[in-house]
Amino acid sequence: MFCAKCGSRLPDGARFCGACGGMVAAYAPAPPAVQPPAPPAYGPPPPVPRPAPPPAAPQQHAARCSWCGSPLDAAATSCPGCGGNVSEMAASTHSGWLQLPGRKDMAKLQFGQSTCQIEGLYVPVADFNLAAGDSVYFAHHALLWKDAATAITTMPLKGAWKRVFAGMPLIMTQAAGPGHIAFSRDLPGELIAVPIHPGQAVDVREHLFLTASGNVVYDWFQTGIWFSTKSGDETETHYPVGMFMDRFSATGQPGLLLLHAGGNVFVRTLAPGETMLVKPTALIFKDPAVQMHLHFERPQTGFMSWGSWGNRYLWLRVAGPGRVGVQSAFEHLHGEALSMQGHSYATEMRW
Amino acid sequence: MSTPVAEPFERLQCQWCQSLNEKSALACRSCGAPLDVRNLVSESGWREAPRIRDMTEIHFSNSTCQVEGEIVPVAEINLSPGDAIFFEHHVMLWKDESVPLTLMALSGGFKRAFAGMPFLISVASGPGRIAFSRDATGELVVLPLQPGMEVDVREHAFLLSSHQIQYSFVRIKGLANILFGGQGMYMDRFVTAGSPGLLILHGYGNVFERVLRPGESIMLEPGAFLYKDSTVTMDVEFQKLGTGFFGGANMSLARMTGPGRVGIQSMYVHHKTE
Repeated sequence: MFCAKCGSRLPDGARFCGACGGMVAAYAPAPPAVQPPAPPAYGPPPPVPRPAPPPAAPQQHAARCSWCGSPLDAAATSCPGCGGNVSEMAASTHSGWLQLPGRKDMAKLQFGQSTCQIEGLYVPVADFNLAAGDSVYFAHHALLWKDAATAITTMPLKGAWKRVFAGMPLIMTQAAGPGHIAFSRDLPGELIAVPIHPGQAVDVREHLFLTASGNVVYDWFQTGIWFSTKSGDETETHYPVGMFMDRFSATGQPGLLLLHAGGNVFVRTLAPGETMLVKPTALIFKDPAVQMHLHFERPQTGFMSWGSWGNRYLWLRVAGPGRVGVQSAFEHLHGEALSMQGHSYATEMRW
Repeated sequence: MSTPVAEPFERLQCQWCQSLNEKSALACRSCGAPLDVRNLVSESGWREAPRIRDMTEIHFSNSTCQVEGEIVPVAEINLSPGDAIFFEHHVMLWKDESVPLTLMALSGGFKRAFAGMPFLISVASGPGRIAFSRDATGELVVLPLQPGMEVDVREHAFLLSSHQIQYSFVRIKGLANILFGGQGMYMDRFVTAGSPGLLILHGYGNVFERVLRPGESIMLEPGAFLYKDSTVTMDVEFQKLGTGFFGGANMSLARMTGPGRVGIQSMYVHHKTE
């Protein structure tokens, strides 16, 4: 177990932390602990009617953007919240995934008194014009350029060093207006604008965060999704969707969150109880209501399985209600081929 | 050539895959290539693979494939009952839970490992939906195969193939691991038997194709090779880079000799072999 205050490793059952002296009341459980609230037992998938793709917002009297829900002007050609084209919005695949973003180059977003222009199509740049009093925060490596006068400071982050401890350095930097500042990432992909309305939250795979407006609340949680493998004497724990996930929410006023994902981005809204199998490394974000757990699929085979692979494919099973986003350029899933020692809650299908 | 009088409909032939389409079609039914766009051929004779428009639908057998996205395109397959496709495990993006998976029995497959996994070809059978993509920027190359066609493909570059196509792999003789862009001792071979089938590749970066005349040769960076007709031969040659000092250095190039098609990718990613 770990200390909730400072993140030090503690003996199980400890009541006080030896490092910071804090009382261990609500401790954060060590990785292999979190049980998702009983997902439905695996059975033949219930026939879920495929929702018809949301109708494109009519150009004339469009009231709200179909992607982010921001109110639209009758005259607007693009949504001020997410930059989406009002006329076509995002194109939907036959199976019901929305492709994001249906956005013109140089689309302009608004938040607070400031604006952000999204420039380029291969590796899009978020170019902010911050008004006085507005601010954004970002991971320092995403900074592309800034005005000499734009002030940047590091942001104190609760519990941040526990993530450093987990091998993921994370320094949040803050830029305050007035001034210009721009961000981009290091691989071809799409920039996703996620306006967050008050009371709303979104869970994001780590390292995909680009920047957020100062009023967006940042938090993180342990995913509780893991499996451990053994190779020789070496035991290793793998986190297919990351050990931690970022959670962004807005309380008082709407905020703007920008993510960058590799390749193309597809989003679908799962109905309550609707499930889908996705490549674990392809997940980019989800609504907090969406449950997820591991799923093993064992293909039918007439012959012996080879070595440690164990004849299984590893999926992430996501269950609605809520939105799920995937990226088409996904990383290789480490440890998939090794002999498995244990794993978090999982369902299984044998063909 | 005179227009046949008896022909009630005028047909439009796709310049990429040669299949016939209705005159009003904007994209080829069999390969998705835009029909209203001129072929892009460089002065040296390379033809750019058709840029498939976002959300284009391709038909094969009784099933369809939708091509989605233009950075790392996704091939989303809607399988009909009775149809099946096969693929390598690492390209699955998502699937319906109800689509059954089986493994194709391959002799010698355990000698080829990819990313620590044994080399396995998985088969998904209809009805249901399953989608595929890869790990880097590129293009989908859609190759409808007519009966009698034989195509060789760089290993791990094929995204999926319909079940009418027979799969095997060939070892490339005389190629040490290091000579073939750091990997590739095998090539996947796709052969059509009785009925036509669909083969979809993913090329990194942009993809170009040229048709070599019999005996015509071109030298390729081995890492750029993507596919060829099986009639095209491939030999590795050393090119001596003489500097006048220290004997110079060697570089290896693949000599491709016609007749047939050769396809290359502009971004040659060097995979690690485990």
